Amino acid sequence: MGYTRARVAEVLDLAPSVKMYILELSRPFGSQPGQYVMVWLPGVGEFPVSVAGEKGGALRLVVARKGRATGYMHERVAEGGYVFVRGPLGRGFRLDARKALLVGGGYGAAPLLYLAERLSGAGATVHAVLGFRSREHALLVEDFRRVAGEVWVATEDGSEGFKGTAVDLFERVFPGGGYDAVYTCGKELMMEKVVRRAVEAGVRVQASLERIIKCGVGVCGACALEPLGLRVCSDGPVFDGETLLSLEDFGRYWRDHSGRRVPLPP
Amino acid sequence: MVELSVEVAGLRLRNPVVVASGVLGVSVGLMKRAEDAGAGAVTSKTVTLNPREGYPNPVVYELDYGLVNSMGLPNPGAEEMGRILREARRVLGIPVIASIGASTPDEALRIAEALEGFDALELNASCPHVKGLGADLMSDPDAVYGIVSALKSSGYRVFLKLSPHGDYLAVARKAYSAGVDGFTAINTAKAMVIDVYARKPVLGGVVGGLSGRAIHPIAVRVVYELHREFPEVPVIGTGGVEGWVEAVELILAGASAVGVGTALKRGFEVIGEILGGIERYLRDEGFPSVESIVGLAHK
Ligand SMILES: Cc1cc2nc3c(=O)[nH]c(=O)nc-3n(C[C@H](O)[C@H](O)[C@H](O)COP(=O)(O)OP(=O)(O)OC[C@H]3O[C@@H](n4cnc5c(N)ncnc54)[C@H](O)[C@@H]3O)c2cc1C
Ligand SMILES: Cc1cc2nc3c(=O)[nH]c(=O)nc-3n(C[C@H](O)[C@H](O)[C@H](O)COP(=O)(O)O)c2cc1C
Ligand code: FES
Repeated sequence: MGYTRARVAEVLDLAPSVKMYILELSRPFGSQPGQYVMVWLPGVGEFPVSVAGEKGGALRLVVARKGRATGYMHERVAEGGYVFVRGPLGRGFRLDARKALLVGGGYGAAPLLYLAERLSGAGATVHAVLGFRSREHALLVEDFRRVAGEVWVATEDGSEGFKGTAVDLFERVFPGGGYDAVYTCGKELMMEKVVRRAVEAGVRVQASLERIIKCGVGVCGACALEPLGLRVCSDGPVFDGETLLSLEDFGRYWRDHSGRRVPLPP
Repeated sequence: MVELSVEVAGLRLRNPVVVASGVLGVSVGLMKRAEDAGAGAVTSKTVTLNPREGYPNPVVYELDYGLVNSMGLPNPGAEEMGRILREARRVLGIPVIASIGASTPDEALRIAEALEGFDALELNASCPHVKGLGADLMSDPDAVYGIVSALKSSGYRVFLKLSPHGDYLAVARKAYSAGVDGFTAINTAKAMVIDVYARKPVLGGVVGGLSGRAIHPIAVRVVYELHREFPEVPVIGTGGVEGWVEAVELILAGASAVGVGTALKRGFEVIGEILGGIERYLRDEGFPSVESIVGLAHK
């Protein structure tokens, strides 16, 4: 599987340093929510990005500016330009919920939007809790409102919706909800709290993890989680709650580029 | 019942399938999964004295017939790998081969001392995409001689991992005279990929190493030649073992065990499939053991 060259059909500014790219694919990827693609910018680099949607040959990606490659993408990749993608990679979310609560933080909302569309398309009831730094940083909220029954927004400074974190808001909403599944994507420390809470309540929960991805196909070990030797790139990035809580690494360790286990970055 | 266990340079393996270096990286959990899936031994990622980050992405390119990688030997360095190997020793029942990348005897000894907790060392003289280490050793048989001698005189069991490039028999001869215990053959073959639409080399390291199905016949040739010249030195035949046929082919060429790398992309189950196939083959063809067919193609 080589790269697919994709034309950038549209670039939207979602928030400061977060953009959405709509890519025209020459062949459909048939991606599932929770799967990701590797985006290659020739001569610059390659990085993993969750699929935020795929419909009729168009792939939607939400990219936050972090460092070199994502910075280049923000500055230099415009409508009419090209990027190269390989994928879809990894295993996505299980889609069998009847009443689901989605908990997203920051650009973690992106794969959850794709999930929300699929779940509601399959007749499930979908509610979402989305947390951002401030009103200015809120993204995809209107898109969620189109497909989810309830969308609650939290901002840390209270400039929109509930004042507090996504976890604070989740703690309020979750107990009364009668949900049969919780899905979460965002900062790992946020997800850890959500997962723990859901598992304690006996509700099925799945979370999408981030680690440094090198090969993306499960041969190099760069993304391994101890002690089970699960690979984020190919056994994940989505794992269920019980599995995550049985790992030493969840919420605690990450691997740097050399493969060394280091404390999870904040 | 056919006997699958083999002896390789004094190491007793429950079966001949060895996980090749670099493919399970640095994770004890992944080594354990390989053991649970049936592997006879595992090899660590090549470790260097100091940590290395490797090349920037992209680092792999998948082909229908193999894989090209330019990982660039990312590894956490000898001290951290020592911790990992000690943990592996505690958790695993099968032998662990520690792969090391060094360019001088002193460096090799310092790495080996930092590691402990392994059953054999494998000197990687053959990584095709890293300067100063690996493949560059292949063009310097005297350096190989120096490193192998130093490791041997410190009492280590040493395998030398060869590349299919250059005069690998000359390098093997030098290692033999230094008392090497075994050979691993082969490492990846120097390769490169250019995307025709990007009109640029794909890999972050530009040059990479080809592995998988594509290099299998090359591995068979190298193993055959090594066994012909050094019939008493065991070889871990590695390169494109995707199923039991390739494994048996390498054993017939002279391998005492077989390395599996790229095939693990399909999942750990391939280990069991390969073992099941070898066992069936031996039974159906009327051989009592793996050892009874080693090098049979030379007879
Ligand atoms: C499964 C998965 C899905 C992701 N989905 C999204 C998404 O939808 N939107 C989004 O904005 N970001 C996403 N990320 C994070 C994104 O991959 C990193 O922010 C990005 O790699 C940073 O690249 P950079 O070159 O700009 O950063 P730099 O800091 O300059 O370089 C870091 C380099 O590390 C490597 N790297 C690999 N994985 C990561 C990682 N997880 N974090 C940081 N570096 C990494 C890349 O080679 C990258 O070039 C996802 C990560 C994973 C693992
Ligand atoms: C992703 C990847 C990483 C590798 N890393 C190493 C390494 O660190 N040290 C080494 O000696 N060989 C390394 N190799 C080479 C393999 O150990 C093996 O010799 C080669 O891939 C041929 O076997 P295969 O066709 O079964 O993969 C690597 C191979 C791959 C595919
Ligand atoms: S990134 Fe290589 S195994 Fe996951």
